[in-house]
Amino acid sequence: MDTELKRTLQVLIVENNDVDRAVLINMLSKAPYGSFQISATDSLQETFELLKQSLVDVVLLDLNIKDSNGIDTLKRLHGRYPQLAVVVNTGEYQDDLGLRAVTMGAQDYLIKGMYKSYGLVKALYYAIERKKAETELHKAMDELKEMQAQLIRAEKMNVVGGVASGIAHEVKNPLATILYGVEYLNTVLKDGDDKIELTLRSIKDAAYKANSIIKDLLDFASLSDIKRDLCPIERTIEQGLVLTHHQCEKFQIKIVKHFATNLPNVLIDKNRIEQVVVDLILNAIAVMKNGGTLTIRTTRKIFDRSDISVASNLTDSIAVGEDVLIVDFEDTGKGIPDEYLEKIFDPFFTTHRAAGGVGLGLSIARTIMDSHGGMIDLANKEDKQGARARLVFKVNGK
Amino acid sequence: MTEPKRILIVDDEVGFTEMVKLNLEDTGRFLVRIENDSTRAFETALGYRPELILLDIIMPEMEGPDVLCQLRENEQTAQIPIIFLTATVRKSEVNQEDGFISGYPFLAKPCTVEELIQAIDQNI
Repeated sequence: MDTELKRTLQVLIVENNDVDRAVLINMLSKAPYGSFQISATDSLQETFELLKQSLVDVVLLDLNIKDSNGIDTLKRLHGRYPQLAVVVNTGEYQDDLGLRAVTMGAQDYLIKGMYKSYGLVKALYYAIERKKAETELHKAMDELKEMQAQLIRAEKMNVVGGVASGIAHEVKNPLATILYGVEYLNTVLKDGDDKIELTLRSIKDAAYKANSIIKDLLDFASLSDIKRDLCPIERTIEQGLVLTHHQCEKFQIKIVKHFATNLPNVLIDKNRIEQVVVDLILNAIAVMKNGGTLTIRTTRKIFDRSDISVASNLTDSIAVGEDVLIVDFEDTGKGIPDEYLEKIFDPFFTTHRAAGGVGLGLSIARTIMDSHGGMIDLANKEDKQGARARLVFKVNGK
Repeated sequence: MTEPKRILIVDDEVGFTEMVKLNLEDTGRFLVRIENDSTRAFETALGYRPELILLDIIMPEMEGPDVLCQLRENEQTAQIPIIFLTATVRKSEVNQEDGFISGYPFLAKPCTVEELIQAIDQNI
C-alpha cells in the first residue's frame, strides 16, 4: 500500500446529484493523505465511454443515476469491467444492499453522509488493494485448476499406459497363438474346400484386427507423436516438480533449484520432456526413500567432451563446441554401481523390478532425448555422494 | 537333405510354443524343443545344445534377460544365437531399434511364421 500512496489515483465519480458530486470532490481534495486525479459523470453510458478512453483505478458509484437504477447499475458495470475496483456510494440505505453490492463485485459500500474525508479515502485505497488481492486469487485459482487438470491428464496417461502394456502382453500372446494356428492349418489344408479357407481367413482377419486395436492403444500412450516448440526449460522442470510433488513430500525429498538466468528457450516437445523430467525425478526419489536432497541445476555453456561421463556413448547428435543448455538432477542416494552404468539405458534393465519397475523409463527417456537431437547422461557425482542425471539440449536445436 | 536345425523356444505361453513348434517343424528344416519353465531354460539348453534359442522376455519366476545372463556365463551355451520374441514391444519400436535390443535380434509378437523363419535363418 505504501507505493500506492505515492502515486496519483485515477478516481471516476459516477454521481447523479451535483451537490453530492461537489461534496465528494471537495472531500478528496482535502484528504489527509493520497493524491487524486478525478473525473466525473452522471450516466452509465458515459462511464463506459470514459473507461474505454482512460485508465481508472477505482470507481465511486452511485446506484441511482441518469440511465440506471439500483443494484442493476453495479451489475452492468461489473459485467462489462470485472477487473475494476468499485466502491458503491449511495443515499439509499437498506440492510442487505451493502452485502448484495459486495457479493456482486463491489469492494466496499458507503452511505452518503455517513463518512468523512478520511473514511472515503480509506475506502478507495482499500478497494484497490482488495481488488488486486481478488484478481491474484482468481489467477492462482485458475493456475490451480490448470495444474489439477494436468495432473488428471498425467494420471490418465499413466493408467492408459499401464493398461495398454498390460493388454499388449496378455492379448498379443493368445493372438500370436491363434495366428500361428491358422498359418499351420493353411499349410496342411492346402487343398481344403472353400468354406474352410473362408473360415481360416476370417479368423486370421479378426486376430489382425484385434492386434491393430492394441497397437492403436499403445500408440496413444507412446512416443510416436513429437511436436516441438520453443519453450523455457524451467517451466517444464517446474511442471515435472508439480507432478511429482506428492512423492517428494511423502519421502521427504528437499528440492534445491539453481536455475541460470536469461536462458534461451529450447525447441522441445514439452510433454515429452516433461515425461523425461518426471522419470528422472522419480528415479532420484527411488534411491532416496529415507529422505534426501534433489538439486536441479540449469547451465548454458559450450559443450565439451568432459560434459558427459566416460560410460556414456558419445553420439553425433551434439558436437564439441556447440552452444548447449544443460539440466542436471543430482540426488543424495548411494550412487550407481559401476557395473550398472553401461547397461542402465538398456530396455528392460531395472534395479527395482520387485517394486514394479519394467525397465523402460530411461530407455524411453533416451529415445525422447535422441528425437530432440539432445543427450541424456548418468554418472556418479565426483564426491561419490549420489548420482547425477544430465540432459543436454542444443540451444539452436533443429 | 541337410539335418534339421535344433531350435529351443523358451516361453511360458504353452499354446504359442506348440504352434511355433508345429509351424517350424512342418517346414522340415527345424527340430523344436519347448521349454515353458524359464527356470529350467539353461539346463534344457545345456542338454539339448540348440543351434538357436527363441527367448521370451516377460516370464514368471525368471525373465528372459536373466536366462540370457545364465546362458552367457557358461562357455558351452555362451555362443548360442538368441532371438528375443516378446509381446511387450511393438513392431514399430523394433524397427526403431533396427530389430535389435541390447544388441540382440528381436521380434515382436505377433509376427508371421515367414518373418520368424527369416529371422532364424539370418541368425543361425
